[in-house]
Amino acid sequence: MSTNIDKLHDDHHHTPSGIMRWITTTNHKDIGTLYLWFSLLMFFIGGFMALVIRAELFQPGLQLVIPGFFNQMTTMHALIMIFGAVMPAFVGLANWQIPLMIGAPDMALPRLNNWSFWILPFAFTMMISTLFFESGGPAAGWTLYPPLSLQGGDSMPFVILSIHMLGLSSILGAINVIATILNMRAPGMTLMKMPIFVWTWLITAFLLIAAMPVLAGAITMLLTDRFFGTTFFTASGGGDPVMFQHIFWFFGHPEVYILILPAFGIISTIIPAFSRKKLFGYDSMVYATASIALLSFVVWAHHMFTVGMPLAGEIFFMLTTMLIAVPTGVKVFNWVATMWRGSMTFETPMLFAIAFIVLFTIGGFSGLMLAMVPADFQYHDTYFVVAHFHYVLVPGAVFAIIAAVYYWLPKWTGKMYDESLGKIHFWLTTIFVNLTFFPMHFVGLAGMPRRIPDYAVQFADFNAIASVGAFGFGLSQLMFVYILYKTLKKDVTAEDKVWDGAEGLEWTLSSPPPYHSFNVAPKID
Amino acid sequence: MNTYKKTYIALTFAVLFMFSFSYMLVPLYDIFCEITGLNGKTNQERVIVDKEEITDRYVTVKFTSTVANSAPFNFEPIDREMVVRVGKVNNTFYTLTNNSNTIKHATASPSVVPGEHAEYFKKIECFCFSQQQINGLETKELPIQFVVDTDLPKNIKTLILSYTMFNTTDQVGSN
Repeated sequence: MSTNIDKLHDDHHHTPSGIMRWITTTNHKDIGTLYLWFSLLMFFIGGFMALVIRAELFQPGLQLVIPGFFNQMTTMHALIMIFGAVMPAFVGLANWQIPLMIGAPDMALPRLNNWSFWILPFAFTMMISTLFFESGGPAAGWTLYPPLSLQGGDSMPFVILSIHMLGLSSILGAINVIATILNMRAPGMTLMKMPIFVWTWLITAFLLIAAMPVLAGAITMLLTDRFFGTTFFTASGGGDPVMFQHIFWFFGHPEVYILILPAFGIISTIIPAFSRKKLFGYDSMVYATASIALLSFVVWAHHMFTVGMPLAGEIFFMLTTMLIAVPTGVKVFNWVATMWRGSMTFETPMLFAIAFIVLFTIGGFSGLMLAMVPADFQYHDTYFVVAHFHYVLVPGAVFAIIAAVYYWLPKWTGKMYDESLGKIHFWLTTIFVNLTFFPMHFVGLAGMPRRIPDYAVQFADFNAIASVGAFGFGLSQLMFVYILYKTLKKDVTAEDKVWDGAEGLEWTLSSPPPYHSFNVAPKID
Repeated sequence: MNTYKKTYIALTFAVLFMFSFSYMLVPLYDIFCEITGLNGKTNQERVIVDKEEITDRYVTVKFTSTVANSAPFNFEPIDREMVVRVGKVNNTFYTLTNNSNTIKHATASPSVVPGEHAEYFKKIECFCFSQQQINGLETKELPIQFVVDTDLPKNIKTLILSYTMFNTTDQVGSN
């Protein structure tokens, strides 16, 4: 193994140039970069769909799009943002950072790694192409509930096949991450000495392996119900549509932690660096992450309190859901305790990280409100739910990804981004994100239903504010692209240790790091 | 290299296991519903009653009907409500009319409210056990023979039997 790597040592001579470098690459850094660019592209496509939604909702009544197309937009926006933007961004960060952080030369399965990325563009081309079908794209919501999803147009088998491909890509990525972390750590790096980001990704990878095959099963049942005469969910043959909801959310709830646990890892890395202190309560962070992951498998029915469940079931799912607030509270406490009396500075990654803590906690609290069965009967399927999950996903997952990019960009590229532009980007993003999603709490509590292109006039003002916020948020992200462009055009080289409070093996390497990170494994005491 | 291989094999098996687990959830769900009486699922098989144990207790049984997905049917119970003796065998029927000109196949799916007491509603004869074939513009009487079990908890005074009639002509055609 090590002789092989030595042969490849003078890296660039052996890699094809131009486009073939990217198509045939097995290098973790190249693949990480591909994932991150792809995720940015999907973020803008999904964001454009969100703006179509917000433009239609700017005023009551139907202005811009027909309801059928509106439903396609909500469905595709969710599918693209979840499977195209957030998940690939985290896999990209894992690809870049895990080998650097554990002192490995590359990922354990480089060829599989290449394949798991290159499945994605094909899957999304197929999924997005359904929008140009005569019968339109999928319009039954990203949760694909039957019987509605079974009654959709020709897009259904295409969407299901593309979700199968996305699942395959995630599963292969997860196997790769686990194999890398378990087998390729530098000598002396025990599990409890691993950087916290690596820990959160290890747990996320196990969640992926447990949850994604269940989604594959559920959508395969949908497919056979529609085309091969099975009746898993068709009531006329003795099937039960509610069963789909159970199977779907058995995948779906672990999925929402797949979308947030790596973000916890990023925040737990950035906060200590800019507080110039060690992470407070490292062990409890690890245990909290693991317990969140385990609990995620016994709370699924809180997404469907209103389907008609026995009282005992509702109480069980209510209590287990509220129990998740305990390990999550431990995490928030640890982050705040890490900052306590630290020598804090507020560079862009730190600003995003602090905003994450504040805004994610707001999303957590609205989640706690939704966990209460009697309250949920009122909130179910209203904009309050939309406000809740956007608070945990946008200023949650997306802020963490942006923070991670600012934090590690100088390391990846060897060039420092423009700090003052970064700060402006942060403030615009934070102001507009709240302008977009905070009013949704109010209209939701007042009873505005989600996934509806029109609404009663009393919701008009808050919706207009949310739409202004959404356009502001979307346009501010163009600034992010400009900052990336400006950084990449620079010649100035960043220091090896960009942030003086940062810890970890990646900062012992040059900026940018060599093509093969650690040819000789570093020693950890 | 050996530990690597072990990791891959274990993880591949985990993936395959979870995929089959999603299918295992289907029978598990049915068992769970049967135990808890969720969804008002009634027994799908006919009950054989050898001897009636007629009691003096009376319960009200209400009948409702729904036609699924705007199928071309009229589907109504002949009795909206019956006051029956617990333990006694009762007869009633629904009428099904085919409003179209062509032969249709129809399947009814039963449900009992309150769901947790569905098990006490025992069907001796029911059109829901089989698929119905009905000619164009024909009206059919679909009989039910049922008995309310003597173990029905005392606080239950009313049971509602609801049928949803599905047009399954397409499914029959493709088989």
